[in-house]
Amino acid sequence: MIALTIDAIIAIGIVWLALQTVRGANVFSAIIMFIVFGLIMSLAWARLHAPDLALAEAAIGAGITGALLLVTWRRVHVLEGRTPQVGMAARSLWLTLPTALAAALLIASLGWVALTLPAEPATAGELAWQRLPEMGVSNPVTGVLLGFRAYDTLLEMAVLLAAWLGARVVASELRPGALPGPAHEEVPLVGALLSLVVPISLLVAVYLLQAGGSAPGGAFQGGAVLAAGGVLLCLTGRLESADQTSLIERIVLILGLAVFSSVGLMMLPLGEPMLAMPGVWAIYLIETALLLSIALTLVLLFAAAPGLRRSS
Amino acid sequence: MPSELLIGLIFLPLLGACLTVLPWRWSTRLGVFAGLVSLPVLLVALTLAVIREGAWYYSLGGWTAPLGIRLFVDPLALLMLWMVAIIGGVAAAHAWHDFRPGTPEGARFWPLWLLLTAAMNALFLSADLFNLYVCLELVTLAAIPLIAMAGTATSIRAAMRYLLLALLASLVYLLGVALLYNATGTLDLYLMTQTLAASDGPATSLAFALIAVGLLLKGAVFPLHVWLPNAHASAPGPVSAVLSALVVKTAVYLVYRLWLWTLPAEDPMQGAVELFAVLGAAALIYGGILALLQERLKLVIAYSTVAQLGYLLLVLPLASVTAWQAASYQLLSHGLAKAAMFLAAANILHAVGSDRLADLERLDQRTPLSLFALALGGVSIMGLPPSGGFLAKWLLLEAAWQEGRWLLLFVLVLGSLLAAGYVFRILAAALRRADPTEAEDAEGTSPIGRRQAGYALLLALLALLAGFGAAPILEVIDAGAPAGWSAP
Amino acid sequence: MSATATIYLLTAAAVFGIGVYGLLQARQILRQLLAINLMGGAIFLLLITLGGGAEGPPDPVPQAMVLTGIVIAVSATAFALALLVKLQDATGSSDLDPPDAE
Repeated sequence: MIALTIDAIIAIGIVWLALQTVRGANVFSAIIMFIVFGLIMSLAWARLHAPDLALAEAAIGAGITGALLLVTWRRVHVLEGRTPQVGMAARSLWLTLPTALAAALLIASLGWVALTLPAEPATAGELAWQRLPEMGVSNPVTGVLLGFRAYDTLLEMAVLLAAWLGARVVASELRPGALPGPAHEEVPLVGALLSLVVPISLLVAVYLLQAGGSAPGGAFQGGAVLAAGGVLLCLTGRLESADQTSLIERIVLILGLAVFSSVGLMMLPLGEPMLAMPGVWAIYLIETALLLSIALTLVLLFAAAPGLRRSS
Repeated sequence: MPSELLIGLIFLPLLGACLTVLPWRWSTRLGVFAGLVSLPVLLVALTLAVIREGAWYYSLGGWTAPLGIRLFVDPLALLMLWMVAIIGGVAAAHAWHDFRPGTPEGARFWPLWLLLTAAMNALFLSADLFNLYVCLELVTLAAIPLIAMAGTATSIRAAMRYLLLALLASLVYLLGVALLYNATGTLDLYLMTQTLAASDGPATSLAFALIAVGLLLKGAVFPLHVWLPNAHASAPGPVSAVLSALVVKTAVYLVYRLWLWTLPAEDPMQGAVELFAVLGAAALIYGGILALLQERLKLVIAYSTVAQLGYLLLVLPLASVTAWQAASYQLLSHGLAKAAMFLAAANILHAVGSDRLADLERLDQRTPLSLFALALGGVSIMGLPPSGGFLAKWLLLEAAWQEGRWLLLFVLVLGSLLAAGYVFRILAAALRRADPTEAEDAEGTSPIGRRQAGYALLLALLALLAGFGAAPILEVIDAGAPAGWSAP
Repeated sequence: MSATATIYLLTAAAVFGIGVYGLLQARQILRQLLAINLMGGAIFLLLITLGGGAEGPPDPVPQAMVLTGIVIAVSATAFALALLVKLQDATGSSDLDPPDAE
């Protein structure tokens, strides 16, 4: 009964926050509501026995996405200051009512249909559990991500790379200094705190990476935590935008995709199928490469810069 | 070793994209050559293998479906792969001049172009619904920055609108996939058919409805086409060519796969094909009229794409070998002709400095080769003999006649008349002689202009040749007709 | 169907609908992106609940799908945000309305 009450509270919180995100008085408060929505979602993942997702949602869904949204809000705000803009929050009532009705209809039909389905693992999921031992890892999610459905994960790295390449295309003509630096004099404590937090984020990332085989965690969660450390260094001015992407940065950006593909291709001459994993070591090698690529890509996307360098 | 060919088609462009991210000129050149020039070679071998062995599956990682992800190649997939290789390859050759390796533009352009190529090849080969979601997102995220490379305010706005609608479309698609996975226990397009035949819950119907909405939005099918004209018209020329010839076709291709392969013949959702046909007819007429009303060359060509996509949906209820040939030939000939027209339009825009129809005069003197390519492409779009477009439309008329669909016959004729209208309008504008002074031939005098015009002309000639060399192509295509379409 | 699963399934349906409503009704692009992310979250919740998460460890296949989906969502959002800044810079407006001069 207590468990059910908790679930009900989480569910009401999720729906309320979603509504606030959509109806928030201004864009800034809508973003804040969305970030809190992500945090409550990670509670829901924990309640739904999916700790891997709870970690990923908190780190990527709420953390990195939230940071990206806020920094963009500020950039747009600064640019808007140059050309004042009066924007209405919403469309007229004439559009709002039919839209709301359509959405309500969608909610009703989706809810009804979902309740007719069996809420239990499907055929493919059962097979994944049965054949997990062949993968040499005990976390079934890692088994699916880097074994049974490794091809999805590989293409997903291509998606991440495309996002960065795309951001480079559209950011190319922005004047330097687009990254908002620290707005005021730094509080002395920040330095001390950073020297503690950043190494910890590195440590947590490495832990998540090696734990991913048997416990919740893996390259994605680890990469996001490492990226969060990088975002902090950018925000406090420890790292600043460079005009060029250095060779090392370029290599790290493609590392995940290149290592994953190479390991996958490696087995072809031996008569094994594409993307057959030669052993557990290959999984950890790939995960390390993925982690580095993910972390750097996310930090560069946050900084909206071709590259980064240490502040002088 | 035919299965390694499939791997090569996906991974050579993918690794080529990685190479082009590196800063050196040689790495960019190597990446482009490895990722693009290799494709036709692989495809020749693959075509021979498909003729010899028919369609086959390849389980990635050795994990058989439903646990793993399978690739699937058949004549339809082969046709799409050939289009990516040829149209994408010629458009890339055209782009080589504006986006040279070693320049900042080149450094931004080639990685995305190669990722787009890899994504389309992966999409046409994938047999897994969720993997297809990843492919669709990769296509979107690689294609849209290429539109924004034009750098104009219109192109940025068009890219943003395209992005928002494309993201909405893939999420609606993903929701359908989520329901289907739970209802059938698998994500495999072809395994799913058996389970679908046994289940009759509302979940699978809703799932297919959601997937249809998502794909129609991605495919810019009327009335969900609003994002297409500006996006296709404002992109750099080679990008416009690939967007209209290939990228929108990915959604139509998936509609074909899901409705003609995955969905069992007796499923109530098969009724949707009639709706698709109605939308196709509406697109054909609406797109044709709008193309007639445009004032800019590239917008005329873009609205023509909205219209021509209509043919691809009209075919769905006809279910005969002739209809199948018509659909395949429309995919092929529209792709070639439309890409030729966009490349030619880019050359004209470059030479004249504007693509307003009012500014296009005496093009037969200023850009004769590009004008010729534009006209040849137009011949195929209108469906005049002996072009590939003629064959596609003729087969379609024949299929509609066989089924006794008189209304459809009327729509087809009307669509061709509208196409003739907008093509002749372009030609009339291009041949006007408002200004009596002699203009110089901008193309004939510069080797670069000649070469750029040559690429457009090459594709236009291929569209024309497709009409002559139809017999062997149709023989391969026939073998790939979906079940229920192959009965004589 | 357990009570917990019912609660989360209805939550997922509600959030998806709210996202669609927000996307169609919002004018600022940032709000539209938030709505798109809400829709994604709703699909993920649906996948995991239908995978049996309310009773015990959920089906690992949808879990992997959701992880992939989260990374794709952040990638798409990041690119969209970069494009938004460019839009503001190039047109002086972070709004798609009034429509382009067509």
